[in-house]
Amino acid sequence: MYAYLFPVFYLAQEAVTEETTEAFSIVALGNQLLNGISIVGILLLTGLGLAITFGVMRIINLAHGEFIMLGAYVTFLMQSTFGLDLLLTIPFSFLITAAIGALVEISIIRRLYGRPLETLLATWGLSIVLQGVIKLIFTAQLKYVKAPPYISGNLTLLRDAQGSAAIAISYYRLFIVFVAIALLALTGYLLYNTDLGRQVRAVTQNREMSKCLGINTSLVDMVTFAYGCGLAGIAGSVISSLKSVSPPMGQDYLVDAWMTVVTGGVDKLIGVLAGAFLIGEFNAGIAYLLNDPTARVIVLAAVIVLIRYKPEGLFTIQKRS
Amino acid sequence: MNNKYQPPLSSLGRRKFLKYSSLAVGTGILAACSGGASSTGDEDLGENPIKIGIMYSTTGTIAIVEKSLQDATFLALEQINTNTGPWEGNGEGIEGRKIQKVVVNPDSNWDLYNQMSKRLIDEDQVVCVLGCYTSASRKSVLPVFEEKDSILYYPVYYEGNECSSNVFYTGAAPNQQITDSIPYCYENFGAKGFFIGSDYIYPKESNRIAKAELEKIGGKVVGDEYAALGTTEFITIINKIKQAKPDFVLSNLVGDSIPAFYRQFKDAGITAEQIPIMAYPTTEEEILAMGTEYAEGHYTSFNYFQTVDTPENKAFVAQFKEKFGKNRVTNGVMEAAYLQTFFMAQAMRDAIKAGEEIDTKSIREYTRGQKFQAPQGLVKMDPDNYHTYLYSRIGRWGADGQAEIVFATPAAVKPIAWSQTLYPGRVCNRPVPDDRSNPIKETGKDLQVKYLEKT
Repeated sequence: MYAYLFPVFYLAQEAVTEETTEAFSIVALGNQLLNGISIVGILLLTGLGLAITFGVMRIINLAHGEFIMLGAYVTFLMQSTFGLDLLLTIPFSFLITAAIGALVEISIIRRLYGRPLETLLATWGLSIVLQGVIKLIFTAQLKYVKAPPYISGNLTLLRDAQGSAAIAISYYRLFIVFVAIALLALTGYLLYNTDLGRQVRAVTQNREMSKCLGINTSLVDMVTFAYGCGLAGIAGSVISSLKSVSPPMGQDYLVDAWMTVVTGGVDKLIGVLAGAFLIGEFNAGIAYLLNDPTARVIVLAAVIVLIRYKPEGLFTIQKRS
Repeated sequence: MNNKYQPPLSSLGRRKFLKYSSLAVGTGILAACSGGASSTGDEDLGENPIKIGIMYSTTGTIAIVEKSLQDATFLALEQINTNTGPWEGNGEGIEGRKIQKVVVNPDSNWDLYNQMSKRLIDEDQVVCVLGCYTSASRKSVLPVFEEKDSILYYPVYYEGNECSSNVFYTGAAPNQQITDSIPYCYENFGAKGFFIGSDYIYPKESNRIAKAELEKIGGKVVGDEYAALGTTEFITIINKIKQAKPDFVLSNLVGDSIPAFYRQFKDAGITAEQIPIMAYPTTEEEILAMGTEYAEGHYTSFNYFQTVDTPENKAFVAQFKEKFGKNRVTNGVMEAAYLQTFFMAQAMRDAIKAGEEIDTKSIREYTRGQKFQAPQGLVKMDPDNYHTYLYSRIGRWGADGQAEIVFATPAAVKPIAWSQTLYPGRVCNRPVPDDRSNPIKETGKDLQVKYLEKT
């Protein structure tokens, strides 16, 4: 990825001269923006777990991508041994990754609260370990996950003169967006409308005071972290049939998830949605006008600039210092 | 450590930071070198074994492919050391000397390939190395092998335009893969091609050659798109394909991008009848990972498919499955990794028989012109340009994940190292014995397709 930083201007120039020879089509751009929605869906889904572990708990979790990977492998395992449908494997993915998350919280994270640097290093190490373990068990080969056959085909919004689809989006990608939004809503409800959610927020804001008021802070921490990991697991399950399942797959989502969470702002859950939407649509738009590698460079650079001027992200709560 | 006491970040001591960060960096390096240089210790290798290096990544992005190359190489080495398979009748090992493999894992990191090849040659003193997959890794080790004058056997189809006296190329040169597939696409699918690939040397060069070939016969490239290595999101590229309405897609995507692309291609509602994909790096292995229904009706151009009907191939597939599991498949790159190990062994055998030491010079001279009855058919190491006479085939993927071979050359095709569309008349001719002088000659002539004569 960093290798592209230097030739970015050259690439952009090259792409511009190539593209201008073709007719610019507003329909095509419309289609691309609709496609952007599906990128938004994936970003939201993969970023949501991180919004909990980092946004709420302030744990710098570099193993987030590996929890996504674990979710995908749970789906693979359930399918290959029990022949389960992809949708039915989702609860298992959630429970198993959440359980592993809880284990990680008890054994590693708990001992490092308030020490972000050490947490960063520990979770980085954890990501290497998890990849290694999965590779030992399942080998490095790509794995096959069967997509649910009843969610196939495309939703056509606009047809061209010949009657073929001009603006269309696949049902599976719509399904991903739906799952992402549903999980966001559920998480919002849990966080802002339940006792557990109130406790979670209380612990985040003032750990010592919460403890004094009789909240079992260590239990709250464990449950919250496990929930965040479980969300990552669901993400892994849902995207596994559209993408590739392999031990290093999580790395691909880690950077995107971080960009999403950091751009949106970590204090409010709605920030993830905003971050996912901005990054997804910008990525889709620029990639359409130029090309994919260039779009990635430009979006990454834009996020760096944004963090420079708004380190707290776009959506922040005004705090008393 | 007392976990009730939580020091704020500012008091994180310099010493402690150093301690933990070095620990983390150490873990990273440890992970990269895991396995390190592991010689096979538990085997009885007898006296005076011949040491060779095996350099494939078994971790990182490209491990998906390289691990299976390593498996195929190990199978060949086992057969050589135990006098089985194609080696039957030659005795255990090479004239009584067994092969000792020194295995390194460069962790899909191009710089590590460079370092590890130095280590294999200097410290482990191997006589030659079998390894590498991507062109990026080959380019990274090429200066090492040339400077230290050692030998690399490279089993991968590649973009051509190289002619080193230190590398034996056993994968396809451009004229054994691109030259036949582009006219096939033009005649069977149509004139408009949309080219895609992963963003590094091989796909770009390969597409450049294919573009020249397509334009030469009157076709047109309506799109040319690249995705970063390891990308699994192809919605933009697929949208561009939809807008450009090509007759076929030429794919040079590699690794974990392949299953993602084929799945999203079908998911976006494009069928193989509307726009077929012609690919080079998509093999049996990737098809298995993506699900056969996504590849059905698409095409791959390769020297070898698991369905090739030769007795050698039936034996190879059976032996491979017996050693590595029933659900594994063989593919063209693995077959090349397998056959090159026999090229090496035969060269060593001939050198010992002639009473020569096994070193770079003898391995080089005796590998030249070596013939082998490979699973794909009879192949030969070209004595002039160190590439291999290989069959050129096109397969159409069926519902069972296996290819129906729809095109095949009558015999192995003579390799031409340089793309003749880009560099007309340029050939590579090395003298006997090889004095490592510049071998490039501009003949200015149109080179004819030559086949290997069956004897």
